[in-house]
Amino acid sequence: MAMLPSGVFAVRYAQDRALLRTRPQWVSLALFMLLLALLPHLVTPRLLAIANLMLVTAIVVVGLQITLGYAGQVNLGQSAFMGVGAYAAGVLSTKWSLPFLVTIPLGGVAAALFGFVFGLSAVRIKGFYLALTTIAAQFIFHFAVLNLPVSWLGGSNGISMHPARLGGIEFSTDVSIYYLFLVSCTLMVAGAFGMMRSRTGRAFIAVRDDDVAAGMTGIPVVRTKAMAFLVGAFYAGIGGGLYAYYIRFISVDQFNLFNSVWYLGMIIVGGTGSIVGALLGTFLIRAFQEVVTSIGPLLAELVPWLGGDIVFASMNILLGGLIAFFVIVEPDGLMHRWNILKASYRLWPFRY
Amino acid sequence: MTDFLIYLIEGALIGQVYALIAMGFVVIYRASKVFNFAQGELVVLGGYLVWWMVLGSGLPAWVGIPLAFALAALTGIVIERIFFSRLVGESLFSMVMVTVGLLVLLRGVFLVIWGAHVRPFPMIVPMRPLILGELFISRSLLIGGAVTVVAAVGLSWFFNRTTAGLRMTAVAEDHQIAMSLGISVKRSVAFAWMLGAVLSTVGAIVFLNGKSLSFLASDIGFAALPVAMLAGLESIGGLILAGLVVGIAQGMAAAYLDPLLGGGVSTVLPFVVMILILFFRPNGLFGWKLIERV
Repeated sequence: MAMLPSGVFAVRYAQDRALLRTRPQWVSLALFMLLLALLPHLVTPRLLAIANLMLVTAIVVVGLQITLGYAGQVNLGQSAFMGVGAYAAGVLSTKWSLPFLVTIPLGGVAAALFGFVFGLSAVRIKGFYLALTTIAAQFIFHFAVLNLPVSWLGGSNGISMHPARLGGIEFSTDVSIYYLFLVSCTLMVAGAFGMMRSRTGRAFIAVRDDDVAAGMTGIPVVRTKAMAFLVGAFYAGIGGGLYAYYIRFISVDQFNLFNSVWYLGMIIVGGTGSIVGALLGTFLIRAFQEVVTSIGPLLAELVPWLGGDIVFASMNILLGGLIAFFVIVEPDGLMHRWNILKASYRLWPFRY
Repeated sequence: MTDFLIYLIEGALIGQVYALIAMGFVVIYRASKVFNFAQGELVVLGGYLVWWMVLGSGLPAWVGIPLAFALAALTGIVIERIFFSRLVGESLFSMVMVTVGLLVLLRGVFLVIWGAHVRPFPMIVPMRPLILGELFISRSLLIGGAVTVVAAVGLSWFFNRTTAGLRMTAVAEDHQIAMSLGISVKRSVAFAWMLGAVLSTVGAIVFLNGKSLSFLASDIGFAALPVAMLAGLESIGGLILAGLVVGIAQGMAAAYLDPLLGGGVSTVLPFVVMILILFFRPNGLFGWKLIERV
């Protein structure tokens, strides 16, 4: 629970429900958004490309946070759900030449339905068995793309896309894509915040904490779990669609199990059960990935027998090590640490 | 008819290889309640250890293989020491997440130690097939099947009939209750990983015999998953039957469906089977049915 500075009292329900309650919170959010809006003019093109990737990943990871962090359902298929969104958007835009304002939401819906089917197994199964169906989702996605007729999904050739268009604007440069992604990401994150303090979001949390108790209080547990997959996969689908318009080429290898593990790592590092944590985790891990990629040649000199594979190997070690380290040492992630810091700062000089 | 028989026997025997690999999952689950996502990596570890001890160091197989087993067991204990000893009493979620971390971590470590290139795997069992009339049966698969059955029967007896095994079974049921009965969860988890690593090494020998070895061999871990699910994660004996079912289904799909539908059906079929099992019989054929009381 977020702690407020002393002296902040809600005297109306609207105030009590508000996400931002104090003026400093408004100011810092406004400054942060201003910084994000000005970012293309402040950083190099290379960093901007990374920022684009971060934004689109953030959408996917916020979706995973809803499924995993809020509803407590382990999901190892987020990357496959993302792929479904990307393929749906790709096919709708190349074959049926629908505008991207239509294809992106439809991609999200396609992914949501795909995720929902696997979430439905929550009718019968609990706990980690559920995670196994999401692994199966990964394999089935892979198989479907490669084995359906090439004229449908492009098979192993993949799909090449046209850039997104809105009115007279064509989103083909990094800067224009950045603003498109920033707006989408802001919308999705705001939606997640809204949803998590609605009835649905609170039902997610209740089911995560104890599904038997949640059932006793009248929450339809199965529907809530399936709903968590639906929402999480919808986010993945939106992210996948946007990613497809950014890379403008979709192939099945971009959406593998390994990526799902990365998303999981982002959640664990950032902190489970916190949307800001998901964003923080995405930022930090993506930044880490970039650092490893850029010092790759240096590492290659240290371990000469691996050559170019060292980047892949050290990424693996880094990711696995981070996940294990955080689970063992700081299972609530960095957001938890940050909240402790904030609370102790507010209470200073008292201990509690 | 002969073709059909060959597909049937091959399928059944390959199913037993899956069952052997799946035994790694089940053993770790049966002694610690942790679902090990890194099973495939343990198989790769076993493979590399055998390669290292037999081809890499030039030791004769009868020295090298026991050494590889010993090293695998040691690695299992090290994994417990580093990753799990501090997690006793933590949520199951944490423990399983650690195995997800292990999945990628081990892959990276193997790459750094042994590199990415493909290596030949030593031929422990001769490749010459066994000829029965018109049937050619792979000798390594046959021996693998026998090993699976022996291991399944032995481990089943161990977990269901001996005191030590029943202690671990209690750990798999509930960590807290087991601890309150004076059972060491740590020791059980350590034993689970030791046994899991050794079984994976056996699996690697049977699976990789005379083939090539690279870090990509870990895919077998996920391919064996449906077998473990069909048997139910708690049943070791059930693996034999589940292995037969999945193996034969896959063999038949490879023989008769792949040519029609353009390949790949046999790879995805086990997963479809797995989902169906999870929908209709979530505890598998022989899994424990848990009764929840509030």
